[in-house]
Amino acid sequence: MIALHNSKTWTYSSYLIALVLMVPVLVMLVGGISASTQLFAHLWQTVLPTYLENTVILAFLVVLLSLIFGVLSAAIITQTDIVFKKQLRWLLLLPLAMPAYLVAYLYTDLFDYAGPVQRSLRTWFGWQSPNDYWFFDIRTLPGAALMLALVLFPYIYMLTRGAFEQQDQNLIRASRLLGLTAKQSFFKVALPLARPAIAVAASLVLMETLADFATVQYFSVHTLTTAIYDTWLGYGDLGAANALASVLMLLVLFVVLAEQRSRAGLRHQSARPNLQRELIKLSSSQQVMASFFCWALVIFGFLLPLALLIVMAVEYSNVAQLSVLISTGINSLKISVIAATVAVLIALSLGLYQRLHSDKYRQLPQQISGFGYAIPGTVLAMAMLSTLGPIDHWLNGVAEFLGFAAPGLILSGSLFAIIFALVVRFSAIANGTIISGIKQIPQSLDYAPASLGVNLTGSLTKVHLPILTPTIVVAWLLVFVEAMKELPAVLLLRPFNFETLSSQIYQLISDEMLEQGALGAILIVLFGLLPIVLLNKSKEEV
Amino acid sequence: MTALLSIQQLSVKLQDKEVLSSLDLTLNAGDILGLVGASGCGKTTLLNAIAGFSKPSTGQIVIDGKVLSDKQHYVPAENRQVGMIFQDYALFPHLTVKENIAFGIAQLTQTEQQQQIDSLLTILKLNDYQNSYIHQLSGGQQQRVAIARALAPKPKLLLLDEPFSNIDARLRNELMVEIRQLLKQFDMTAIFVTHNKDEVFTFADKMAVMAQGKLLQFDTPSIICQAPNSYQVADFLQLGSWLPCNVDENGAQSLLGNLDISAEHGTQFSKVHLLVKPSQLILNTLVDENSDTNTNTNTKPNAQVDYISVTEQGYHYSLSNIDSPSTDQSLAFSKLSLYSDIALSLKQHVQLSIIPHNFLYFTNRGV
Repeated sequence: MIALHNSKTWTYSSYLIALVLMVPVLVMLVGGISASTQLFAHLWQTVLPTYLENTVILAFLVVLLSLIFGVLSAAIITQTDIVFKKQLRWLLLLPLAMPAYLVAYLYTDLFDYAGPVQRSLRTWFGWQSPNDYWFFDIRTLPGAALMLALVLFPYIYMLTRGAFEQQDQNLIRASRLLGLTAKQSFFKVALPLARPAIAVAASLVLMETLADFATVQYFSVHTLTTAIYDTWLGYGDLGAANALASVLMLLVLFVVLAEQRSRAGLRHQSARPNLQRELIKLSSSQQVMASFFCWALVIFGFLLPLALLIVMAVEYSNVAQLSVLISTGINSLKISVIAATVAVLIALSLGLYQRLHSDKYRQLPQQISGFGYAIPGTVLAMAMLSTLGPIDHWLNGVAEFLGFAAPGLILSGSLFAIIFALVVRFSAIANGTIISGIKQIPQSLDYAPASLGVNLTGSLTKVHLPILTPTIVVAWLLVFVEAMKELPAVLLLRPFNFETLSSQIYQLISDEMLEQGALGAILIVLFGLLPIVLLNKSKEEV
Repeated sequence: MTALLSIQQLSVKLQDKEVLSSLDLTLNAGDILGLVGASGCGKTTLLNAIAGFSKPSTGQIVIDGKVLSDKQHYVPAENRQVGMIFQDYALFPHLTVKENIAFGIAQLTQTEQQQQIDSLLTILKLNDYQNSYIHQLSGGQQQRVAIARALAPKPKLLLLDEPFSNIDARLRNELMVEIRQLLKQFDMTAIFVTHNKDEVFTFADKMAVMAQGKLLQFDTPSIICQAPNSYQVADFLQLGSWLPCNVDENGAQSLLGNLDISAEHGTQFSKVHLLVKPSQLILNTLVDENSDTNTNTNTKPNAQVDYISVTEQGYHYSLSNIDSPSTDQSLAFSKLSLYSDIALSLKQHVQLSIIPHNFLYFTNRGV
């Protein structure tokens, strides 16, 4: 590939942007690693082994359950003649819009000892106390894993389904001609070919699980994320919180590296995906079982929680709540709009740099800036605090030295920190979307403007940006929605008395009063549906 | 004629590999040059270097007296006044036909732009499509838009990268003639890249054959056809078949008889490859299989039919020598082309002879 431009300013600013995005995490890692060995020893002797163990078991269970849910449903949808296939195909994506902590709260409400299900059972069967019967205890580690898997499995479903649908049908046809039945060729050809996609999806689920805070906190399952939160907000021990965040960060790093290794060299792309595929015919009993499985996922992962929220909203909504909803909603909008705009501008700048600049390592800034997505919100929040805090102190010192009034925590105690954290965390989403949009532009369109006497600015404003407009809109929306939903980073970094939709709902959940915020919760779910609709639409167009 | 383009000692490295090495080329104003060569020979890199899309490591490029690239100067692509028609046309999908054509002439006034566009639309018969988007046009129409867009800023030199490779074979010839006339009408100097020699014969005034980053021969197509300067040129252009000969003072021996080529005084060669064009071969009277015993060498069969294809003019035969224990293997030949309207059968033995002519032969096969 021949690159076109060699502006030094562009190079410096690209690397600077990437660096700035990464600095807080580096500071935190350095702080965490250089934290006194005494501190680590203390943590290791007390709580760290339990936290680590819980985190690892939780991650394992969530991935296992998500694989069962996701791969099986993807196989059923793409390989069999299940009824209502067209509807289930997109319905199975919807649980992705449901935050795990909402599901956790609603199901606890429903299935707890005092909940309507157990109450009715007791009434019907005349049981007197918990000793009379056994019931699944939801507020446990396996319970948390199930809640998370219920809303995270669509990642696996989506990517695996995509892999099955993109597979070269001639490979399947060849295996059939070599004597395999439809079922055999699924297990011997289609499934092995889909392995890289499944591995990628599983690592996404893993990262989301490691990042989860609210679900485990609500269930009182002590993992690394809850430990970071408690250590900082409960004991005010920044050093220990940093150390825990660094451990979690290393865990995530391990997942990222493992994922990249598993992906290396594994590319099964297809040239003829659109050939008619032959479907496995289900017997009527199989048809019932498959339908039961898929509909159960849709109902428990999305429809039932949404219905419960709607019932709550109808029963408990009032004007006072509406005004709270509006004020928190405006706060959420404010930070999400700014974060989305900044993230998209950065993604555009770095993406076009990668495409058009002659720098040998032109993809580097974009790669560095995309790494933030793997960083859990709690870790990121600690990183912000440990970086911006000292800067604030220094600024105050300088101001006082110069005879001005101390400005206070203008960086770490303001929206700046939240927005910074959101941009770091969601830059990868904007990057990914923008890069794939840029890849759609044929290389020759980079050269055509110059051959017509038009310079870089003209080429960007008249060719690249107009062609990218739809992509830019999608990237903006995706980041916007993620920012609206983000909880842990906001919770740890928000200024005093600043509530967003998600932090407000989390508070209500902690106080067992979600009824007061049901409308806001519905709003979050609706926002969450937006990227699913977008993603599904772009998948349909392929 | 004045030289419009002058390239001297041009070398280009891509990823530390020398793709063009010390290339010289001069092109007169108004000439259309066809650049041929196998893929990977550096012809697209040469276009990119002229256009300003890849930076030479050494050498000079001068267009119309202006130095575009040498040690001191490097004029960016947008200031070179070099137009380009891309293989995939690179038309802007978000703009209409008219907006595509106007893209490179934004510095003109609205009226001037409009005049320029109108005249190009008329010449290229695109009047009905000026407000259409690119995806609404056929392949041929898209190519015309690409030409109009490239011509609008009145470039001094037009580069065409495999311009006909996406065109239906049946329409290709017609379109080439049409575009050639158009370029002549604009008195445009142009270089086009192709791997198809027939396109050069139809389209170009001059021809350049490239291999491994070097220019092998540069001349008019007819001279190159009649007098290729190397084995590689003749072989790449498939100007004929090859017949190995042993040469000494008395002449040349081949499996098709003795030829009037003799080693000149002082020359060292003893073996040559003779270029045989189908028109220089005579198919003598058919020989019966049994006459193999005939001692008369004039009627003894010396070739056999390996492959037959049908053409508009009759049959095309591919022949090789008849293998016998007494055959000198260093003279063995294969894939000798012969056109004839006489029907032969596969494996049939025939007798061939070569019409005496100004023999063209090379001593060296490789580089």
